[in-house]
Amino acid sequence: MAIKYLKADALPALLEALAKNARVVAPFKRDGVVQFEPWQSGKDVELDVLLAKQSPKEWVFPQCETYLKFGYRMEEPAQGATAGTATGAEGEAIGGEGAAAVAAGAEPAIPHETVEVEALNEAPAQVIFGLRPCDARGFVQMDQVFGGYGGFYFDPLYNSRRAVTTLLAVTCRDPRSTCFCTALGGCPAGQEGVDALFTQVEGGFVVEPLTEKGEAVVGTAGGDLGDATEAQAAEANAVKAEATGKVDVPFALEGIRDHLHDNIDDPGWHDLCMRCISCGTCTYVCPNCYCFSINDELVESEGERYRVWDNCFNPLYTEETSGHNPRAQKSNRFRNRFSHKFWYYPDKYDSLLCTGCGRCIMHCPTRIDIREVLRIMGAAPGAAAERAATTAVTPAATGAPTGAPAPTDGKEA
Amino acid sequence: MAAQGNGSNGGIGAAKTRLTRGDVAAGATIARAGKLAGNPYLPEVATVLEIIDETPTIKTFRLRFDDPEVQKNFSFAPGQVGQLGIFGVGEATFAISSKPSEKEFIQFSVMKAGEVTKALHNLSVGDKVGVRAPMGNGFPVEAWKGKRILYVLGGIGSAALKATIEYTLEHRADYAGITILYGATHPTNFTYWYDVKEWQKRDDIELVLTIDRDCEGWQCDVGLVPSVLERMAPSPENTIAITCGPPIMIKFALISFEKLGFTPEQTYTTLEKRMKCGIGICGRCNVGPKYVCVDGPVFSLAELKELPDEL
Repeated sequence: MAIKYLKADALPALLEALAKNARVVAPFKRDGVVQFEPWQSGKDVELDVLLAKQSPKEWVFPQCETYLKFGYRMEEPAQGATAGTATGAEGEAIGGEGAAAVAAGAEPAIPHETVEVEALNEAPAQVIFGLRPCDARGFVQMDQVFGGYGGFYFDPLYNSRRAVTTLLAVTCRDPRSTCFCTALGGCPAGQEGVDALFTQVEGGFVVEPLTEKGEAVVGTAGGDLGDATEAQAAEANAVKAEATGKVDVPFALEGIRDHLHDNIDDPGWHDLCMRCISCGTCTYVCPNCYCFSINDELVESEGERYRVWDNCFNPLYTEETSGHNPRAQKSNRFRNRFSHKFWYYPDKYDSLLCTGCGRCIMHCPTRIDIREVLRIMGAAPGAAAERAATTAVTPAATGAPTGAPAPTDGKEA
Repeated sequence: MAAQGNGSNGGIGAAKTRLTRGDVAAGATIARAGKLAGNPYLPEVATVLEIIDETPTIKTFRLRFDDPEVQKNFSFAPGQVGQLGIFGVGEATFAISSKPSEKEFIQFSVMKAGEVTKALHNLSVGDKVGVRAPMGNGFPVEAWKGKRILYVLGGIGSAALKATIEYTLEHRADYAGITILYGATHPTNFTYWYDVKEWQKRDDIELVLTIDRDCEGWQCDVGLVPSVLERMAPSPENTIAITCGPPIMIKFALISFEKLGFTPEQTYTTLEKRMKCGIGICGRCNVGPKYVCVDGPVFSLAELKELPDEL
């Protein structure tokens, strides 16, 4: 596929053209916070801040999503139904002769309650522009989960939206000290899950369409997208190489699944979780944490069932009616999140459930650093205890393992 | 951009903005809800046919799917579970306790404990419920052919094993022997007493009933299930031991099995966890890398020993 070039000042026109047929979602700064929001004419896309506060996962997997609507209503008995019970008090009739009629498969001869259920699934076509390759990779990792257990249980809500979503990622020019995508096999110019990759060069973007959906975007842009010159393509490659070199690789992940398995009863989990306050911020900002809860609401006779993001650090997440809680200790829940990403998920889907975006490190109110947790608990048994002893578990140790700038680099609001 | 619905994400097809009951293939139940077959989150509406008061806190609900096609095509493996719910209250997971050969209705036994179970206990005959079933793996009854089966159950644990017991009783000739040890705190706390009386009449099975403390008129064993089990001292040879009951009973029954020489591969139980989606996605019923809703609820003790201590 031909490499294209888009002038920086032609970007609004491209988004406007895309918005004719789809919802365009992009990062915008509002009240100092960068978030993915629907694009509107005149709004400036924010690409200087590396990562939006949250990944764009909510546009495919909304934080709260109603998927059933239902309504109760009274149904009159069918014509010709057995007379006789209709005059009785309703409660008595339902428990008495009405019951016999239902049991026999006949229509009961009294008005009876019935329920109508409708499944909802809103999936408008959309283009997400300005996400980073790590966020696109987050979708690829979630695809495996929602694609169904061995292709069996297929999640229609997620997948119908995912099928009509085009991901236009922008290469990271200036990775932060919290970025560790290369440790997980990603890259500031990663192509996994990306439909077209935009790389910022002098005066504009070098655009690489990578899929049919990406080609469709090029088609939409028409004359605004010219072929990139060799110099421009070379510049893009230089930007990518430089960015990749800037990402810290603070630790090796070889054997992490087995090491987590072997360290399961290690007291290190207890030490590491001490300063966690179970707020769940890490799960909400994560581009691929996907756990959810399901709740019902009923107002008089009309109601809905919805699913909503959940947080595995919440003690109520697993607490059973009897009061028994399989993960009663904070250390159990803490261990579960990291083990899920680097042991449980890999066992099922043969890849790690983390893209190295570093949002959980940036936003943790108690400065828990996933890299530190993995360095200690993901090390070979024995070595784990040794490393824990030599690594000060203090906020100062979590930010910059190799002397890079502190996690908050001033660009993040 | 409109063409993207048919794009590269193979097999999904054009996105629909609304799914209706008609989109669900006739007779599609949750287990068959693969790609394009339907919506695994959409419950089938069923009507309460009959309610049986089993014990002061347990009721059995016999339900029939409103769609006759769904009822006709419904089938499940012994040990599988389902999500039973009331629209507007919520869903919870229960073992399917009807016989697998039963075509007229599907049955769940429910102990009154929390919000959903309380609402279920308030149902009347004729009321509507939502069912998503069957889910989970069930017991490997085919692989057990030719073996002796030892059931050790207590209290509401009987609901989880009822379908399996009935299945093996119906296929009695396939198994070398069937022993049922069933305990309850008090004679009034036996579920399925009407069926237990039928089992007592059979001379091709061994049935031992026990209560925790003796009471007037009781003619069977007295004692906690694990101690009665050790007194019975069944031979582990060519035998599969299956247990389900309150967590404390399971814990001590497993210890007793070990004392009696049963290997972890011979010992099975069925787990219970808080669940939401029931299809291996929402993430709360995991014990380590296993999801109870799809990898379970049936596990051998050998499998459980591989998992973190989060039961």
